[in-house]
Amino acid sequence: MVKDYIFVKPGLPPREIVDRVRSLKGVCLTSTSMRDAGQSDYKNRLRIYDLKTLAPHYNKMGLFSAECHGGARWHVGVMNRRESPFEEIDLLRSLMPNVLLQTLIRETNLWGYRPYPPNVIKYVVSRVDIDVWRCFSFLNDVRNMRAVAEVVMNRGRLFEPVICFTQADWATNSYYLGVVKEIVKLCGGTGEIILCIKDMAGVGSPRRIGSLVDAIKQRYPDLLIQYHRHTTDGLAMPALLAAAQAGAKILDVQEDSLARFYGQPPILSVQAYLEESGIPVHLNRQEAEAAVQKVRSWIKLYEWAESPFRGFDYHVVYHRMPGGAFPSSFEQAEKGDFLHLMPAVLALMSLYNKIIKYFDVTPGSQITWVTCSGIVNKYMKEGGEAGVNHLLNLMTKFVEEKAQNIDLMEPEEQEELYTLFKNAPSDFKNLILGKYGALPMGWPADWVYRSAFGDEWKCKMLERNNISPLELLQDENLEKQKQDLTVALNKEPSEDEFILYLMHPKNTLEYIQFRESYGEAPLVLPTDVWREGLRKPGCKVDFELWGKPCCIELVSVGDEHEGFIYVVMRVNNKTRVFAVSTPRAKKREIRMAKDPFEVGAPINGNLWRIGNPRRGSLKVGDIVHHGEEIANIEAMKMENAVVAPFDGQIEEICVKLNDIVREGQILFILRKIAHK
Amino acid sequence: MERKLSKVLVANRGVPAVRIMHTCRDRKIKTVAVYSTPDRLAHHVAMADTAVHIGDAPPGDSYLKIDKIVDAALQNNSDAIHPGWGFLAENDLFARKVMDAGLVWIGPPPGVIRAMGDKIESKKMAVKSKIPVIPGISNVTTAAEIRQWMESDGVDFPIMIKASASGGGKGMLKVENEAQVAAALAQVRSEAVKFFGDDTVLVEKYIERGRHIEVQVVADEYANVVHLFERECTIQRRNQKIIEEAPSPSLDDELRRELCSAAVHLMREIGYVSAGTVEFLFDSRARQYYFLEVNTRLQVEHGITELITGLDIVGIMIDVAMGRPLPFKQSEIRPNRWSLEVRLNAEDPRTFSPSFGTITRLYSPQGPAVRISPGYYEGADIPPYYDSLIMLIMATGADREDAIRVMDRAISKNLRIEGVKTLAPLLLSIIRHPKFIAGEFSTRFIEEHLDELVSMFIEKDSEDEILKVARYVAEISALGTPKWI
Repeated sequence: MVKDYIFVKPGLPPREIVDRVRSLKGVCLTSTSMRDAGQSDYKNRLRIYDLKTLAPHYNKMGLFSAECHGGARWHVGVMNRRESPFEEIDLLRSLMPNVLLQTLIRETNLWGYRPYPPNVIKYVVSRVDIDVWRCFSFLNDVRNMRAVAEVVMNRGRLFEPVICFTQADWATNSYYLGVVKEIVKLCGGTGEIILCIKDMAGVGSPRRIGSLVDAIKQRYPDLLIQYHRHTTDGLAMPALLAAAQAGAKILDVQEDSLARFYGQPPILSVQAYLEESGIPVHLNRQEAEAAVQKVRSWIKLYEWAESPFRGFDYHVVYHRMPGGAFPSSFEQAEKGDFLHLMPAVLALMSLYNKIIKYFDVTPGSQITWVTCSGIVNKYMKEGGEAGVNHLLNLMTKFVEEKAQNIDLMEPEEQEELYTLFKNAPSDFKNLILGKYGALPMGWPADWVYRSAFGDEWKCKMLERNNISPLELLQDENLEKQKQDLTVALNKEPSEDEFILYLMHPKNTLEYIQFRESYGEAPLVLPTDVWREGLRKPGCKVDFELWGKPCCIELVSVGDEHEGFIYVVMRVNNKTRVFAVSTPRAKKREIRMAKDPFEVGAPINGNLWRIGNPRRGSLKVGDIVHHGEEIANIEAMKMENAVVAPFDGQIEEICVKLNDIVREGQILFILRKIAHK
Repeated sequence: MERKLSKVLVANRGVPAVRIMHTCRDRKIKTVAVYSTPDRLAHHVAMADTAVHIGDAPPGDSYLKIDKIVDAALQNNSDAIHPGWGFLAENDLFARKVMDAGLVWIGPPPGVIRAMGDKIESKKMAVKSKIPVIPGISNVTTAAEIRQWMESDGVDFPIMIKASASGGGKGMLKVENEAQVAAALAQVRSEAVKFFGDDTVLVEKYIERGRHIEVQVVADEYANVVHLFERECTIQRRNQKIIEEAPSPSLDDELRRELCSAAVHLMREIGYVSAGTVEFLFDSRARQYYFLEVNTRLQVEHGITELITGLDIVGIMIDVAMGRPLPFKQSEIRPNRWSLEVRLNAEDPRTFSPSFGTITRLYSPQGPAVRISPGYYEGADIPPYYDSLIMLIMATGADREDAIRVMDRAISKNLRIEGVKTLAPLLLSIIRHPKFIAGEFSTRFIEEHLDELVSMFIEKDSEDEILKVARYVAEISALGTPKWI
C-alpha cells in the first residue's frame, strides 16, 4: 500500500493543524516555489500556466503548505503576468485540494504599498480564500498585525505571525523575545499559531539561528517555529540544520531545479542533509523528485527573467538586501543605467542600516533602496566617480571611525551630512516620523532629521509619534471607491476586481482592460507563445479553452502599411486577418466628451442640423439655454435632438454640418454663464 | 388576359430586395437590381441578373428617385417593378408612373395607396366600415388645438402625435405631458416633411399597454379578398417592431374571427388588390380593438404568415399582378404552425445606437425549423444611410413554446456576427423573459424591462474568447515581446 503523506488539509481548525505538526517526528516543509522562490530569482514572472504543473505532485507530497500567494506576486501578477491572484487560488484549489495555501501579507499594507485602515483590512482579508496567513511587519511592530490577526483567527484560518530577522549587534535574543512576547499576547497564547522567523535576506549564521530558536523554545516550549530563509549568503543549508536541531518544526524550501541564488534552499538536498544528521523530514520523496523534474520542462523559458547579477553574495550580511529585492534592484539599476554603481549603492546600504535601524523587507527594503541609490546617483551626477568615492569615504569615516558622533566630524563634513537625506523619498521621511509605526530601536539620531527636513527639522521632530497607523487611519468609504471603479470600468466590478483595485488601483484598471481585450490569453497560452507569439508561418499553438481544444496557426505576417501590420492566422481552421496597429499608426482621433462642459453625440448618425428651426444655425459665442435643442442627428431615418445640458455660451463647435458622428463624440464645448 | 412577367426590377435593397429575388428565382423570373454608390457590392446586387446604378448614397439621390428607377426598368426590358417595403413602396405617384410607363406594378392600385397613406382618410374609411377607431383630431398645426381637443373630449396624457403619412415607426411621437407638446409637434412636423413630404399631423389618445395586432390580407382583381390570419407585433422599440409572431397569443378564436373579418370587410370596401395588412391596436384588458392603419405593401414580417400557412406571399403578389385570380378560397387557409420572427438590426443592444461598418464574419443560424431572410453577406459593409436590418430570423414550431425554443437555439448557438453590434443579445433576453414566455406584454415591454433585459445579456461566448486570445497572439507575433512583460 502506498503511504499517505498527507497530514494536514484545508478546512482543519488551526489548533488541529498545530497539534498535527507538533506530533510529527522530525520536521516538515513549506514549498515557496509558487511565490517567494519565483519572486527572488525570477522577478515573480513564473506563470501559473507553468507553476500549476507542480500542483498534482504537491497534492501527494505531504507538505505543510505551499506559499503561492501574496508578497509582490499580486502586484506583478496584475501588472506583468496579467493574472489575478484569485484565479490562481481557484486553479490551485482544484488541482491540489490537499494542500494548505499560504500567503505572505504585510500587516497594514496587505498586498499594496500603503497602510490601509481597519475597515479595508477587514474587508479584504475576510474575502481571500487562504489557509495560512504569514504576516509580517518590517518594523516588528506587532501592534500593526492586530487587524489581520483578528480577521484570520475569527475566520478559523491559521495565523502565522512573523519576526523579521536580521543579524546585527542590536538584534539580540532578548530583543526578539520581546517581540515574540507581544505576538503570543496578541494571539492569545501559542496553541493556534505558528511563529515564523523570516530571514528574508539570508544572513543568519548557523550558530546565530540555532541560538535564537533555542532561546524562543526555552521561553515558549509549545510554540511551533517555522524558519524561512533565503540562500543569498550561501549558508542556508547549515542554518536550516541548526534551526531544526534547536527545535524549528517547519522549514521553507523549493524545487532543486528552480533554485538559483536568492530564493529558498533546494528541497531534495535539505531532506538528505537533515536526515543524514538524524532529523527525519516528512516528505513523499518520489513526488518531490517528480516535481523537481517537472520544473526542468519549463524553467528554461524564464532565463530572461533572471537577475543580471548572478551568484551568491556573502556581502548580503552587510547590505542586507532581501532575496526578492535583489534581482529587481539590479534590473532597475540596469534600466536606470547605473548598474556600474551597484557596488557603491550596496556599500552605502551597509552603512545606512547602521544609522537607521529597521528590517530590510517591504516596504523598508524599498525605502532603503530608493534612498541609497538616490544619494549615490546624486553624487555621481555632481562629482562623477570621485564624488561617489568621496561619499563612501565620508560615510565610512562617520560610521566606522567616529561611531556616528557628528561632532567629531570636520565642519564641512558636518554640513554635508546635514544635507545627506534632503532629497530622500517621502516614505523615508514618513518612516522617521513614525508614520509606519514604532522603529525597533527607537528614533534615529537628531542629525538625520536636520538632514531630511532642513530648517523645519525641530518642529518635524515634535511631530514624531509612536502610534500604530491602525489607530490613526480613518476608515475609508468603500462604497465610494466601488462607485469610482464602476464609473472607471463602466460596469459593476466583481468582488475580486474591487479587491485588486483597492491594492493597486492604476494597474488594476490596466489589467481589467487587458483582460477585456485579450481574455484568457495569460492563462491558456504556453510561455514561449505568451512572450514571443508565433515566430514564423506554419508555427502553431494548441491549447484548451473552456474545456475545448483550440489551435492557432500563423499563416503570414505582412509588412507594415500605414501603421498597420496584417497578420493572417488560422483560428480553429478558419482563416482570419488581424489588423495590428503599430506605434506609427496614424490615429484618426475622435475626441470623446468627458467633462460636463462637453456635449457629446447621443447616438451614431448624421449631424444634419446645428441649431434649431426657431433660431436657425448656431455659432461660437451664442448663448444657449438649458433644454434647448442645439443640434439634431439623424440615424436610420429618425431624428435625435441634442439639447443643451445647462445655460451656457458656445465656446467651440467641434464638428461640421453633415458629419457622420459617433456616439459620445464631442459636438460642442460650452462655457457656463452665471445667472443674474 | 394574363400580363407577361418574365423580368422584374426590384426597387429596393437589403433584406426586402433579396427576399423578392428569392421568389423570382423560384419562378424563373429574371431580376434587375438598382443600387446606390455605396451599395455597388451589396448582396442584392450580387443576387440579381443585372444591376443598374441609380445615384449616390442618400436615399433621396437613389432609392427614392422615381424617374431613374422607371428608366432603369425600361432600359433593361423589365416587365414589372416590385417596390419591396420602405422607400417607394407606399408612394402612389411611383406606382402611377410605373403603370404609365407601361410596366406592371406589383402592388395595390395607386388610388388605394393614396387613400390609405393618409391617416386621416383611412380612419374615415374604417369608420365607414364600422371598425372602432382611436379618438383623436386631424390636421393639427398648433399646440393650442391639441389642448382644446383634450379638454373638450376629456382626454388625458399620454397622447400620440403622428404624421398623417407616417409609417414604419417614423414620424410619430408619444407625448407624456403638457410641457412636451410643442417640441414634439414641431419634431413630428419636421420629420413628416423630410421623410414623407407632407406635414399634415393628427393627434390621438395613447392606448396604454396596447398590443399591436395586424391581419394579412391578399386580394385579386376579381374582388376575391382572403385573409391569411393575424400577426402579433407588440414587441417594439421606438415604435419599430423587432419581434413578431403568428398567430397572436392575445386573441381567442372568436376575437380572431372578428378581427380578420373586419380586415377583409375593409379591404373589400376600399377595393384592395395584392397583398396588404390591416393594423389594429388591441387593448387586452378591455378586450377592445381599434383600427390603426392599412399598410399597402408587403410587410417585413410577412414571412411568419408564410410559415404558418405554407404560402408564398411575394408569389401571390406576382400572380395577382399578372392578372391571375387567387388560387384558393378563405376556407382553404388553415394555419398549422406557430412562427416567430426577430429583426436582427445592426444596433447597440443597450442604446439602439446604429452600428455601421463591415460585417467581418457572419454565420447564419441553421438547423431544423429555422428560416433566414438575409440582406448582407460576410464581408459586406453596412452603410449609415439606410435602415439597420441585417437579417430576419424566423423559427417555427408546433406551438408557441416550441417556436421560442427553436428561436433560442438559433440566436444563442448558431448565430455569429462580427464587425458590427447587433440586437441579438437583446432579442435573446426578450424571448427568455418570463413575461414574454407567458405572453404578457405590451408595446412598452422593452422600455419597461430594459435594465432587466440588459442584465440578462450573456457576457461571454467561447468563440469570442478564442478570438481574444488569437488577437493577443497576432499582436505579439507582429510586434514582438511587449515591454511590460
